[in-house]
Amino acid sequence: MDYEFLMDNALCRISLDRKENLYFVSDGEREFTADIQPVADGVLSIKVGRKSFLAYIARDKGKRYVSIDGQNYIVKEPAADAGGFEGGEAGAQEDMLLIKAPMPGKVIKINVGENEEIRKNQTLAIVEAMKMENEIKSSIDGVVKKIFVKTGDLVDSEKPLIELDFKS
Amino acid sequence: MFKKILIANRGEIAVRIIKACREMGIQAAAVYSEADRSGLHVISADEAYCIGPAPAIESYLDVDRIIETARESGADAIHPGYGFLAENAAFARRCEEENIVFIGPNSKAMDLVGDKIRSRQTMDKAGIPIIPGMQGVHKSLEDCEKEAERIGYPVMIKASAGGGGKGMRICYEEANLKSGLEAGMREAKSAFGDESVYLEKYIEEPRHVEFQVLADNHGNTVHLFERECSIQRRHQKIVEESPSRALDPELRAHMGETAKKVINVSGYNNAGTVEFLLDENKKFYFLEVNARLQVEHPVTELVTGIDLVHQQIRVAAGEKLAFEQGSLEQKGHAIECRIYAEDPFNNFLPSAGKVLFFKEPRGPGVRHDCGIYQGSDVPIFYDPILAKLIVWAENRDLACKRMTCALDDYVILGIQTTIDFLKDVIGHPQFRAGNTTTHFINKNLQGWQGKEKTPETRGIAALAAAFDGARRTFAPGTRAGPAEAPTPWSALGKWRLGE
Repeated sequence: MDYEFLMDNALCRISLDRKENLYFVSDGEREFTADIQPVADGVLSIKVGRKSFLAYIARDKGKRYVSIDGQNYIVKEPAADAGGFEGGEAGAQEDMLLIKAPMPGKVIKINVGENEEIRKNQTLAIVEAMKMENEIKSSIDGVVKKIFVKTGDLVDSEKPLIELDFKS
Repeated sequence: MFKKILIANRGEIAVRIIKACREMGIQAAAVYSEADRSGLHVISADEAYCIGPAPAIESYLDVDRIIETARESGADAIHPGYGFLAENAAFARRCEEENIVFIGPNSKAMDLVGDKIRSRQTMDKAGIPIIPGMQGVHKSLEDCEKEAERIGYPVMIKASAGGGGKGMRICYEEANLKSGLEAGMREAKSAFGDESVYLEKYIEEPRHVEFQVLADNHGNTVHLFERECSIQRRHQKIVEESPSRALDPELRAHMGETAKKVINVSGYNNAGTVEFLLDENKKFYFLEVNARLQVEHPVTELVTGIDLVHQQIRVAAGEKLAFEQGSLEQKGHAIECRIYAEDPFNNFLPSAGKVLFFKEPRGPGVRHDCGIYQGSDVPIFYDPILAKLIVWAENRDLACKRMTCALDDYVILGIQTTIDFLKDVIGHPQFRAGNTTTHFINKNLQGWQGKEKTPETRGIAALAAAFDGARRTFAPGTRAGPAEAPTPWSALGKWRLGE
């Protein structure tokens, strides 16, 4: 069986073939045989040769978090990240113009108004979470097209805050 | 002794204090905001009271509501933990007026040491070395500009009402002073409800060395040696240890006696911490008194064998200290790492959310003070501290190794944490060599991006994800429809059917 997903934002292809109690694994670079036993929901015991690993897995919306030997990985489906994955330049430009909340938090200040001209690296807004202020800066010289939030709003990660435009 | 203590705090420190209450046979009453209904401190306490909406200003900082709740619960004492109302003298005074014992210093001493300006003046008069700085709090920008000029750049903007890095800013030149003052005052207001700030000479590359002190209500004062807390990010301590590599027995005794003097001239009682900066010539300056139980108190507990929360409660109940200075000793070495909900791969942005998987490290000499559990929510409203990992070993080298193993065994999934970053702090050759100053992070780990992950682990992680039912394709290179039922059990079942 073949699998394809993004692991830490890099495309990963892996094939698993089950023969009795063992899995033959190929990830393009390496081939190995693994003995896998589910231990509990989200916990797998994986033995490769003489070395045994515990894999911890947590599922969240379109994501999986996997932890092995003190190293954490984020696994996503390619489709869930199409913008960054195949979106190319159009996606990158959209990211520059649509300013999103970097993390869940509270808008404590909006430093600009609609139609105001702004410079690259100018602070557009301040979002606070866990008592730390984070300045949201412009990545372009341009103009503020639209502001979607107001001071005091609670915002989720990726929530659009401000839309910018290049100067016409 | 008290029958019931109300813990006016949340998170790991509330849980820590509740445990001490249980050990001492005292009932513990927790308070919580609407965002903390399922918090670990609520679950751990004997009883719990909702005191308002999520923002701290409407709950954990609401003095009237907390006093009212203490009355309602029949608590005869309040433990404030750290942060929130812990260093609010008005709150301590209110407790005194209401005949509820405040587990901490008397309000008069707290007033003095909490006012960084007045305490500097008091210490200066008592012959205790202080850092050059402003005589009063910020009044106007012009006034600050003049003062900064007099003191000499770089200067440090500090909140008069508290520590923990909140409201703190360094200014290297006059052009940055205005924005620094504004940000500092805003942060101070939100953290302490008091926007007063002042300026101090900024000492380059010092070590942060503090002394734990205990004073009972009968005139007995002891110090429990030092903690070195030089490893800081954004002026926030992240790794602490005891003993400090920078002190020899003579300097330790001198600083310890100075710390006791600071406590005595302040009329201070209960547990407190006297903070010093130690410069490269081993000259030390009084920084401030932290009138509370410190986040990093466990390292002192591990090297001295004294439970500081028990001592706080005993002293507050009027007991005499059961030990003298001469009977105290530092044994072995302890290190603490603070586990924050911050994403070290993304400029340490706060990372709120649900803890989807949680496995804490265990083993000989490993202590874990924790405020979360698998399934708990980490809200955006409060400090990002999740837990503290503390290890003890016979010497510093072994303590470092033990910490590295414990960090490797620590798994938190669902939110980002500083664990990976801490591994590289503890593993850094300069840290191992004891070359720790408050500039350690900027000097040694600037632009940190994490270590390259090993191909072996990577392959096994991919295998685990695939086994767990991550997206599968039916022929190499082509994509199937949406991923199916994402449990290992169903994925396993399907493979069996397909054979």
